[in-house]
Amino acid sequence: MTVRPEFWMFLGLAAVASLFCRFGGFWLMHYIAITPRLEAALKATPIAVMAGIVAPAALRGSWPEWIGLAAVVAVMRLMKNDLAAAIAGVGVVALARSGQLLG
Amino acid sequence: MILRIMTEASHNTNAARGGGAAPFTAAGVRRGAVQALPLAASVLVYGMVFGLLAKTAAMSFAEAMLMSTFVYSGSAQVVAVSAMESGRIPTGAAAFAVMTTIVLLNARYLLYGAALHPWLGRVSTLQAYATLVVLGDGNWVLSMKAAQEGEKDAGYVFGSGVVMFVPWLMGTTIGMLAGAFAANPRSLGLDFMLVAFSAALMSGLVKGRSDVAVLLSASVAAIAADRLLPAGLAVLTAAAAGGLTAWLRFKTVEGA
Repeated sequence: MTVRPEFWMFLGLAAVASLFCRFGGFWLMHYIAITPRLEAALKATPIAVMAGIVAPAALRGSWPEWIGLAAVVAVMRLMKNDLAAAIAGVGVVALARSGQLLG
Repeated sequence: MILRIMTEASHNTNAARGGGAAPFTAAGVRRGAVQALPLAASVLVYGMVFGLLAKTAAMSFAEAMLMSTFVYSGSAQVVAVSAMESGRIPTGAAAFAVMTTIVLLNARYLLYGAALHPWLGRVSTLQAYATLVVLGDGNWVLSMKAAQEGEKDAGYVFGSGVVMFVPWLMGTTIGMLAGAFAANPRSLGLDFMLVAFSAALMSGLVKGRSDVAVLLSASVAAIAADRLLPAGLAVLTAAAAGGLTAWLRFKTVEGA
């Protein structure tokens, strides 16, 4: 239950970096008027962020990750449930990786 | 910290009941909290992964909990932990390098905060910053989805945020405790959780042709950034490319 003295400095820097990102965009928008066009661009960012997480992982992965992603999309289509789809994907990846070890 | 957040929550809901800040109500907090519950389970799992990593980096329980509370970002914390893997805490230039990496990794939050401005700009300063402190990827996406379905209460963002922040701390605790007994998290596919979850949310969000255009441009940009730029910039590049695509297509959509 101890905190090393030099950890506080490190934690402080990490926390400032994290909070800057959390507050910065909000601050910035005090000075920028939101046009319908800018709103459309901001509304597009969730899909873009998700794609930014998925696409490099898919490319770097191999067939366990690919069938895992296929399972996610399939379960999502069938059940319309985010968590069920994600867990199904993780389960498929775990199974496929164990198969990879055996093969 | 949990206590403080809870106090803030009740403070906020009390203020809303008083009728001061109209678009932040107790009912909104409750709606967000209930709808974020399924996501909370995945945050718990991801928090456990961090706890396990922290344990393997020889962090103390207090250190891991402080980091989960004040940094509250999976990718940023993984970077911080990997910088401590040798058991030594980075100082000086090494610490600033970690700080810069965290800003780059979390630059997407600049977009999140900007996108939330229409909601948070109308509520009290305390409500706005409390919401930003507990904001996470999942509850932001959830909130943007809810906004498209007509949700206007900023309490929704705060409520869904708290419901994901608390399991993050619980997951960190469980991961630290389980650290000694854990199997290889990779063999359990746990490293795939964030990707699987993103893919699930994404396939639920993509509806029209504009969404497909955003998805494709963001994917291409992310892959290019992943290959060509320093680590951690792929998500930011993808967000910029997707936003730019929507910006450029705006007229076409309006004219259709």
